Amino acid sequence: MENNREVLLKVDHLCQYFRLGRKDLKAVDDVSFEIRKGETFGLVGESGCGKTTTGRSIIKLYNITSGNVYFKGQRIGAGTRSYKDAIKQAKKDLKENKITKQEYAAIVEKNRALIKDAKADSKEVDRQYVESLLRSLEEEYAEKFRAAEGDEKQLKALRKEYSNRCRVAQKSRLITQIQMIFQDPIASLDPRMTVRDIIAEGLVINGITDKDYINEKVYEILETVGLVREHADRYPHEFSGGQRQRIGIARAVVMQPEMIIADEPISALDVSIQAQVINLLNDLRERLGLTIMFIAHDLSVVKYFSDRIGVMYFGKMVELADSDELFKNPLHPYTRSLLSAIPLPDPVYEKQRTRIHYNPIAEHDYSTDMPSFREITPGHFVYCNNAEEEKYKQQVK
Amino acid sequence: MNKEIKLSVNDLKISFRTDAGKVQAVRNISFDLYKGETLAIVGESGSGKSVTSKAIMGISAGNSIYEGGEILYDGQDLVRIPEEEMHKLRGDKIAMIFQDPLSALNPIMRIGKQITEAMLLKNKANRKEGRVAFNSLLAELSETMKKALAETPNAGVSVSDVEKYIKTFDDFNIQAIKLENSYNEARTAAEEMIAVIEDLLFLTEKKQKVDVVATLKLIGRRLKEIDDKYFVSKYADTLKAHAAALKKVLRAERKKGNFVKKLVGSRTVKNEASPETVEVLEALEKTAKDMLEQPQYNFFRIGYYVYTHPETDLSQMPAEEANELAGKFLDEDYMLSFIALEKIAVQYSFNKTIQNKKAAIEALESAIAFFKAGDFSAQDADATCKSVNKSVLAAIDPLAVVKDNVAYTFGGALQREVEKYFFYMKNNPKEEARFARQTAQREALLAKGKTVDWQIVPKSVIEPDVQIETIVSVLNRVMNRFKADVESADSFDADKRCVEIIDYLKEKASQVVYTLTKRIAKEKAIKLMEEVGIPEARMRYRQYPFEFSGGMRQRIVIAIALSANPDILICDEPTTALDVTIQAQILELINRLKREHNLSIIFITHDLGVVANMADRIAVMYAGKIVEYGTAEEVFYNPQHPYTWALLSSMPDLDTNEKLDAIPGTPPNMIYPPVGDAFAERNKYAMEIDFEMQPPMYEVSPTHFAATWLLHPNAPKVEIPKIITERIRRMKERGGNHGE
Repeated sequence: MENNREVLLKVDHLCQYFRLGRKDLKAVDDVSFEIRKGETFGLVGESGCGKTTTGRSIIKLYNITSGNVYFKGQRIGAGTRSYKDAIKQAKKDLKENKITKQEYAAIVEKNRALIKDAKADSKEVDRQYVESLLRSLEEEYAEKFRAAEGDEKQLKALRKEYSNRCRVAQKSRLITQIQMIFQDPIASLDPRMTVRDIIAEGLVINGITDKDYINEKVYEILETVGLVREHADRYPHEFSGGQRQRIGIARAVVMQPEMIIADEPISALDVSIQAQVINLLNDLRERLGLTIMFIAHDLSVVKYFSDRIGVMYFGKMVELADSDELFKNPLHPYTRSLLSAIPLPDPVYEKQRTRIHYNPIAEHDYSTDMPSFREITPGHFVYCNNAEEEKYKQQVK
Repeated sequence: MNKEIKLSVNDLKISFRTDAGKVQAVRNISFDLYKGETLAIVGESGSGKSVTSKAIMGISAGNSIYEGGEILYDGQDLVRIPEEEMHKLRGDKIAMIFQDPLSALNPIMRIGKQITEAMLLKNKANRKEGRVAFNSLLAELSETMKKALAETPNAGVSVSDVEKYIKTFDDFNIQAIKLENSYNEARTAAEEMIAVIEDLLFLTEKKQKVDVVATLKLIGRRLKEIDDKYFVSKYADTLKAHAAALKKVLRAERKKGNFVKKLVGSRTVKNEASPETVEVLEALEKTAKDMLEQPQYNFFRIGYYVYTHPETDLSQMPAEEANELAGKFLDEDYMLSFIALEKIAVQYSFNKTIQNKKAAIEALESAIAFFKAGDFSAQDADATCKSVNKSVLAAIDPLAVVKDNVAYTFGGALQREVEKYFFYMKNNPKEEARFARQTAQREALLAKGKTVDWQIVPKSVIEPDVQIETIVSVLNRVMNRFKADVESADSFDADKRCVEIIDYLKEKASQVVYTLTKRIAKEKAIKLMEEVGIPEARMRYRQYPFEFSGGMRQRIVIAIALSANPDILICDEPTTALDVTIQAQILELINRLKREHNLSIIFITHDLGVVANMADRIAVMYAGKIVEYGTAEEVFYNPQHPYTWALLSSMPDLDTNEKLDAIPGTPPNMIYPPVGDAFAERNKYAMEIDFEMQPPMYEVSPTHFAATWLLHPNAPKVEIPKIITERIRRMKERGGNHGE
């Protein structure tokens, strides 16, 4: 893996809590990772460990609780809980006379500024994006206008095109650069919309009104994902499972995203169809230069498909490494347990495979030595404390 | 193959009536399921896997038609037995884990009730049924003994003694099992208690806070349940002391935590257990472990001793001594003479059946001759059927515990085939006429230059000769079986049969004695829920299905299926919706149950990794037919059918880097099934003959069959896809080692 590629998405101490009566349910708790341009990042873990929530938080289907999400260097999501907690803590400290009033005022001011920043950023991000788009359009067309000077007819056409593109640009948002493919192809497609409507919906929302252009686009995308033009006027229920998932992929790809979050795109499909969809995603990645975040629980598929893999356990990222490295040197006991549970098509091996059990209470002693997410070897991160870090480093050698 | 066949499916054919036409979901499939093995059925969705399993359960959809074939289980043909009979088997003998957990659960019933429901109902039914089976076999035995004695006058036992022997056996057997049940319950309670204590001690050691009071209460409850006098034996006083100590620490712990009363339920404060508590628990654990290590009593012997000496108590005697004493007494006083008597009866009954079998073979031969001659009237055929069936039924040994499927279902099968013969004799001309009429109509329309948008329905006729051959094959099947039996008559082992009979009687007696109360059922259900990996089972016992996540619901469904201790378990994609760790747990659970209960499992899935783990034998299905059939090793290391290749190469493993070979296209429309090999359309190795004729099953090895023309001696040699050969090579090199 080349490490010098541009970082496309950066997730920084992301927390996503849900209110659950009096307590908070920490679905995602302090997860950080980076995805570089053009790579496939696999996210694995058992059901309910927060994989899907992470994906959904990134595309802002939820308002994140705390932490930051950067896309192409822009902060697209920011939570404020951590700052609020800092103020609360300061208030408590003040009461107990641990800090002076001046210090308290400074902390409050600093965190308030951060909160304001975060709020402003999530509002401003789209405006800035639109502005930059408009600016580039302006530059592009200024030149064209100059070239077409004198020719009234061409100038008129150009003006119309310019105003159209400006309108589209004004409606676009940075977040549409990230698209999601959902797990269940039946539930995620509206049964009362034709395939054309489903695929074109995003374009229409973006302000494109040219019917011919939309049709052209839909046909093109249908062919890209291995369907045919005639399918455009059918309804989702007329398709088989694999074809439905292709429609879901087409819907995501039509927006010309830079990144796709694929949330278990194949777990609801039949074996033979699974291979078709994996091949399709692989094709698209190569052809369109997509960056893919691949969420799944089938480890052999994740291994086959991803460049880097992150392992999640109960809302925490416990291990993150290149896929070969992860399978060769699994360090965290949960990863080992997960790897030992993969069924392979080899009866002799299967009959003697023993699963490693993972019991967090027995494995770790975090009573005094607190764990954090640390780099053991370059590019290989593990959630551990000091003692374990030493142990893992020994192990890798 | 000398393994016992549990279930056999012969030539099964199932179709569905739909608006568009008849969908042929299952087309002539046959397989056997042996005792204690796992048969995996692999294939795409729509290949007829689920239809087959549902047919075995007798829960096919309303529009299904059984077009032929039979499913034989325990001397019955499941396709044709009435619904009431099926009720007795379904869920009890044959259980199923469904694919979709949501539709398999009742949304308005609490989970606990759904799990215990089957247990309680089946327990009641089992007791009744066990009593009937026990009585009828015992009656049969006594009847045979009497007959045998009548023919061998100088056996030393009078006929009136037989009655006494049988009655004694009945009484003391029941008594023994009662003792054993109570002993086992106490033992289980002790085991459970140890598990709870170990958990608590472990958590305390790790300085975790737990609800100590509740746990101590639970331990107290278990301690109370250890009250069987044989199990407690000399530990009675020790246990009493432990109970007192436990009460004391419980009081202390209770004082420590401050309870907050709420409107609903009470909130408990979690504490670390105090050192005194730990001490008491460790001592208790040690005693319980000691008790478990004591040698076990043989209750079959002790039961007889207690039965004859009601006033004596063997519970204070060490187990070995008691066993020896009771065993000696049992042998001298009763068992030896009973077994001798039993052996006479078994031998007598067996000899008689062999004679009957010889007679039956003659009857069968004459029937074959009769049918082969052809041109018979309905009445004659009917009479022949009845007489031959009578002689076959007479040739069944009433003392054989394992029922012979072929002989029991012979009458029905023969009757059906004969009826079919007459049906076709009557209908063939009509069909021919209709076909000719339709063809003429179509041709006339075409001749006029019109477009015809309908197709001619193919004629469904069977030549009388072919049908007669089928009839003869039914007769031959049972005749061959009988001939083999007669030939192997010399090697008959009467002692083995005697043991079998006594084991069977013991089993039935334990069914009769074993009563399940609601309380025990609840405990069992909670244990089962914990076994399938549901945390906080005690709390979740009272929840409704909607409160569970998908994976949890699936586990509930598995718990329900296992609750009735089935004989055959059908798993219809049980782990498809679960993630790897849970999947591994569930598979381990199913495998363990299979070992413990000697279960036979039909496992349906499309995940080949899971198949490799579970299966002893594999059947690959495509478009309603079995295309390859063999042991797991054979199918994975030496696949023969192109469809198996395609399945194997479409799934990545940990070393796959190359592009996957996806299977192009979709499965064929089964309203108009292809004439030739159904997979030909999607098969890059397809030859011309694949489109014209269905390939027969070729034998690769005695246990490995594949239906593909590629195995025909004249077929060209083709290369297996590289991705598979590479993988097989890698697997063989490693010999089961995948790093780690």
